[in-house]
Amino acid sequence: MSRDILYATQSLCPVCLRRLDAYYINDTDGAVLLARTCPEHGEFATCIWPSPLEAPDITPFQKWKVTKTPSYPQDPATDLNQGCPYDCGLCPAHAQHTCHGLLEVTMRCNLACPVCYASAGEGELPKDPSRAAISAMLANLLARSGTCNVQLSGGEPTVREDLPDIIREAKALGFPLVQVNSNGVRLGQDKDYARKLAEAGLDSVYLQWDSLKADVLAYFRGTRVPNLREIKEAALANCAAAGLGVVLVATLVKGVNDQELGDLLRDAVGRGPVVRGLHLQPASYFGRSPVDAVHSPRLTLGHVMQTLASQAPEWIKASDFHPPCCEHSLCSFSAVYARVGKDLELEESVTALHGAESIRAEEGSRVAKAFIARQWSRPGLGSSCCGESRETKQSASLCCGGGQDAFSKFLDKRSADRRFTLSCMAFQDSLSLDIERLRGCCIHIVRPDGRMVPFCAQNMTSLTGIPLYPDRLQEQS
Amino acid sequence: MLRQEQNFAPDHGTWICGRCRVPLEQIKVQALYLQSAFDVTLPRCPKCGMTLIPEYLAEGKMQEVEALVEDK
Repeated sequence: MSRDILYATQSLCPVCLRRLDAYYINDTDGAVLLARTCPEHGEFATCIWPSPLEAPDITPFQKWKVTKTPSYPQDPATDLNQGCPYDCGLCPAHAQHTCHGLLEVTMRCNLACPVCYASAGEGELPKDPSRAAISAMLANLLARSGTCNVQLSGGEPTVREDLPDIIREAKALGFPLVQVNSNGVRLGQDKDYARKLAEAGLDSVYLQWDSLKADVLAYFRGTRVPNLREIKEAALANCAAAGLGVVLVATLVKGVNDQELGDLLRDAVGRGPVVRGLHLQPASYFGRSPVDAVHSPRLTLGHVMQTLASQAPEWIKASDFHPPCCEHSLCSFSAVYARVGKDLELEESVTALHGAESIRAEEGSRVAKAFIARQWSRPGLGSSCCGESRETKQSASLCCGGGQDAFSKFLDKRSADRRFTLSCMAFQDSLSLDIERLRGCCIHIVRPDGRMVPFCAQNMTSLTGIPLYPDRLQEQS
Repeated sequence: MLRQEQNFAPDHGTWICGRCRVPLEQIKVQALYLQSAFDVTLPRCPKCGMTLIPEYLAEGKMQEVEALVEDK
């Protein structure tokens, strides 16, 4: 490793998961690699930021980074013992609060996709956590992380018949945003199901939405359920009819659906305020994946920003995107757009608070939690200029029109219904793991054993499939 | 039709400035937050300029605006 070191961190050997010193270095073409050498398994170097030749319009790696003043858990559940990433629970050295608490309510799945970070729905599956265990998980989350946002995930959470009761319980505890992460099969096939979840208090659906093409969808989701494309359309329509907010989520694999990004965006925007945003997730190599993790080209945040700007130049500039204020800057990007006209097309990027080189982790977490709760929620909430609830109004239309005060005019222009978020999260796998990023993670999986483990640590598997944190649904003995 | 919300009156009763002992008047003021400015009419002391933000406004529309201005 004779190339210039940009800065040092720590990572893991992707084969044996031992902790190693690691370095961000420039490749010969200017791309940024995360490199480390395992004494047993050799050198590994993974692309983290694209070359300026590949992505000329994006912010350079060194200027993208935001320094955060850490904020540690007030009540850590585990001790510092072997050090990061082996003590997650959260441990006293974890540097960020919970923005999203994620509860895996089942490992069963009605799709069992070829691409699945949780390896759900196939093989010997753990028993679903009992209702009592889920109540304890929610209580634990509330006690340790306060009223953060909650995502019910899995597996496919809609295979649990008591999902509405779980939603009701989470809302009664005061969590501001309760969201279900779903493949949309039940939501599409059972016309009344979205309404039942909405009546239970559900705010938002994180809807798997990888492609508009049936064959590409089959690559990601298999062929177990025929007409999946049509079922997903029905799921979105049912969510809209039930008044739920929907975030469309696409897993991205280079050469499979990255050339479809512009079309996915135009389609998402064209569906109106029910779709609160498009969220992109370059595939990470943990769990089940048909891709050769070591040799396949990786889609980094920079690649996705450049691709969006190239494929939807009518709306998107690479300079619209900014690093997150909550999680580590190499974990995600986002942009918020104003929607204009009767077709709610995207106008300018309206993000107000970014560009800071350094922020307090705690403040970043507070702002991000509140933003997500507002933006990803059901359309039409919040007061309108005439003081009436917007709930019964067509969200796309203006409220009273004339006679508004300055606050109301601002709210009308900038309300969640008139905004669209475009975001991307780069999960870390054993090839891309940076321990500094993991310590700054704000998405925590709440386990039945009382631990809360950062998302990427919980899902981390070695290249040979050995999990860093096994027994994910094991209850406390 | 001008709506009542354009003129943010006190929640109830008549308010008097504690320092100047004069009744507050509905006066146009500019509320500034981060890079945004809002022209609104609020109860204000005509002598010292102390301005009352009614509770319904502080906990309602103004809080919503504040949150939006702070968006990440």
